[in-house]
Amino acid sequence: MSGGVAAVLGGLRTSGPLLALLALTVGFALADSGFATLANLRIILDSAAVPLVLAVGMTFVIRQGSIDLSIEGLMAACSLVFALAVANDRTQFDLGWLGLPVAAAVGAVFGLANGLIVTRLRVPSFMATLGLGSIGLGVAMLLSGDQPPLVRDTPLRQWALGQTFGVPNLALAAAACLAGGFFVEQFTRLGRYSYVVGGAESVARVSGINVDFYKVVVFAFAGLMAGLAAAMESARLGLGHVEIGAGQMLGTITAVVIGGTSLSGGSGSVLGSAVGVLALTVLANGMVFVGAPPHLEKAIQGAIVLVAAVLAGWHVRDRLRIVK
Amino acid sequence: MRQELAEFGAAAVRLVFALALAGAALPARAQALCEKSQIRLVNSMREITQPYHVNLNKGGRMFARWAGLEDNYVLQLNQGDSDKQIALMRSILATNPKCTVFNVEPNADVVMKPMVDTADRTGAWIVTHWVLNRALHPFEGHDHWIAHVAVNSQAVGVAVSEQLVAAMGGKGGIVALQGRLDTDPAQKRFAGLKAVLAKHPGVTLLAEQPANWDRRAAFPIMQAWLAKYGDRIRGVWAANDDMALGALEALRAAGLAGRIPVVGVDGIPEAIAAIDRGEMTATVSSDAFYQGSIGLAMGTCVLTGQAPPPQTWAKERREFFLRVVVITKDNAAHHAKEPAVDAYAGEWRCDNLWSRATGPAF
Repeated sequence: MSGGVAAVLGGLRTSGPLLALLALTVGFALADSGFATLANLRIILDSAAVPLVLAVGMTFVIRQGSIDLSIEGLMAACSLVFALAVANDRTQFDLGWLGLPVAAAVGAVFGLANGLIVTRLRVPSFMATLGLGSIGLGVAMLLSGDQPPLVRDTPLRQWALGQTFGVPNLALAAAACLAGGFFVEQFTRLGRYSYVVGGAESVARVSGINVDFYKVVVFAFAGLMAGLAAAMESARLGLGHVEIGAGQMLGTITAVVIGGTSLSGGSGSVLGSAVGVLALTVLANGMVFVGAPPHLEKAIQGAIVLVAAVLAGWHVRDRLRIVK
Repeated sequence: MRQELAEFGAAAVRLVFALALAGAALPARAQALCEKSQIRLVNSMREITQPYHVNLNKGGRMFARWAGLEDNYVLQLNQGDSDKQIALMRSILATNPKCTVFNVEPNADVVMKPMVDTADRTGAWIVTHWVLNRALHPFEGHDHWIAHVAVNSQAVGVAVSEQLVAAMGGKGGIVALQGRLDTDPAQKRFAGLKAVLAKHPGVTLLAEQPANWDRRAAFPIMQAWLAKYGDRIRGVWAANDDMALGALEALRAAGLAGRIPVVGVDGIPEAIAAIDRGEMTATVSSDAFYQGSIGLAMGTCVLTGQAPPPQTWAKERREFFLRVVVITKDNAAHHAKEPAVDAYAGEWRCDNLWSRATGPAF
């Protein structure tokens, strides 16, 4: 392929997600005047908050060459723990703001288990996380029992549904997670070593990096993010719900892939995933605006993933001999 | 002498014949088909995370405990997967099929025929709810399909929509959250809304969207609608309470909870509490406790011989509409309390199984 075209396509690859986001935004703004308003911008940021927190965790996992299919089950378990730990209509606990770190900690423990099963028992992350996700779902169903617990902690609920200086609080929390994730990714050993592990694991091992340790930490981090996301969503909706994570797994992985992180690991950034999350949120929101049938949304999401994946691998497709 | 004997013999044969016919014509008291301890009660439903289903299960357990069969109660959850609902039924019928009673909330209209066929084939007993299948009737040769307890979902939709329109003063725009559109209740309730809107031209339907019976899906849709339509939304219609409650939280985020009428269907405790607080206007209850138990009661009555076999029942006792109740502020407090067994024991009696039938559903 000629150098000029390769350069353009290379540039496209890195700015592709941004272009997609811009295209969607402009398209919907033209289709409906109500779309491009401040009020709707707030709603888009609010809707993007929980998926963004999940995507930050998932980016780290995928960057290191693994996959985490457990987030729906983890979210379910953490949602129930959160709802039962704060003021609710079932138990006597009233941890208030502590409920958030407690839920995050439960997620981190599940993530730790994910990591240990992958590194110690040598189970592929695909299977290990699927299994642990089901366990999380089961735990959630046991905790939910007869009646989903309703969150009665008013300050927490008001926080989750409210805004500060015109920005939805959950969006602020998600932005903080994004900033934290970006910092870890760019400026810490964890971030850089897991990048190497994803790109060339054997090289990493031979260089003396404790690959297993960093893998486990990354899974625990993803679990922590899932727990936090579950607590945020539960505080917003007002109950601990087994289905709280339903549909999030595919959406999160889609967002991460659209954002430029290759599924085979060794590339990508949380910033790209953030753009991917925004693109999908704009898509969902815009489709409600134009009144499109919701099943179309899934079809279009799928199309976007395919296009993004093709664009991402375009420049190396001649060199790729093995495609799994 | 031989001729008299022959006449006597013929008369005796006729007498025996007549007695046999008379015996067959006698209704009521039938043969017990199973040992009571062998009877297995199965409640087959979508999941147990929504309060409607929680109460379905509670109703079933209440009956099992009352009938002394608590250890023989099984709950089957299909998580929204129709194939799984059928597979679960077939797998449990590997043992003791003839003494198993199924009380079924069909996940989608398509599961009815396979489940009824399975019952016919294995000798198990089944009672179905909700779905109205115009081509399938218990009395058309399905001797093991005891009954179908239908709900007139269009009437339910009409009732709850009229409450909404009244609360809006007959003017303004509404948004509608529909249920899973491959189910009869979702389609018919929405048709009920359309019928009411046709009679009230002052009310306009601004937008409609399915939200999968789920408050998590309803929340962002309601948020987007609030951004799009703003003040034009003067009422919210939801095909079930869970979606209504999701929309209510979106309204709360916009500072509108209690200021815009919201209606739902199911009569779950949370919705009744919201109606009491003034944040919801109305809901319709088919009484999940009753729906979760009546099929098991019918099956137990048939299996213990306290009710005749279903093929002898009148048609309108095998496919009937269930009585529903509209819950508004006036009667919310009354319905908020969790029912006790005494409330239903009278209706589980084998001679009173059809006490809530309002008419044939065919």
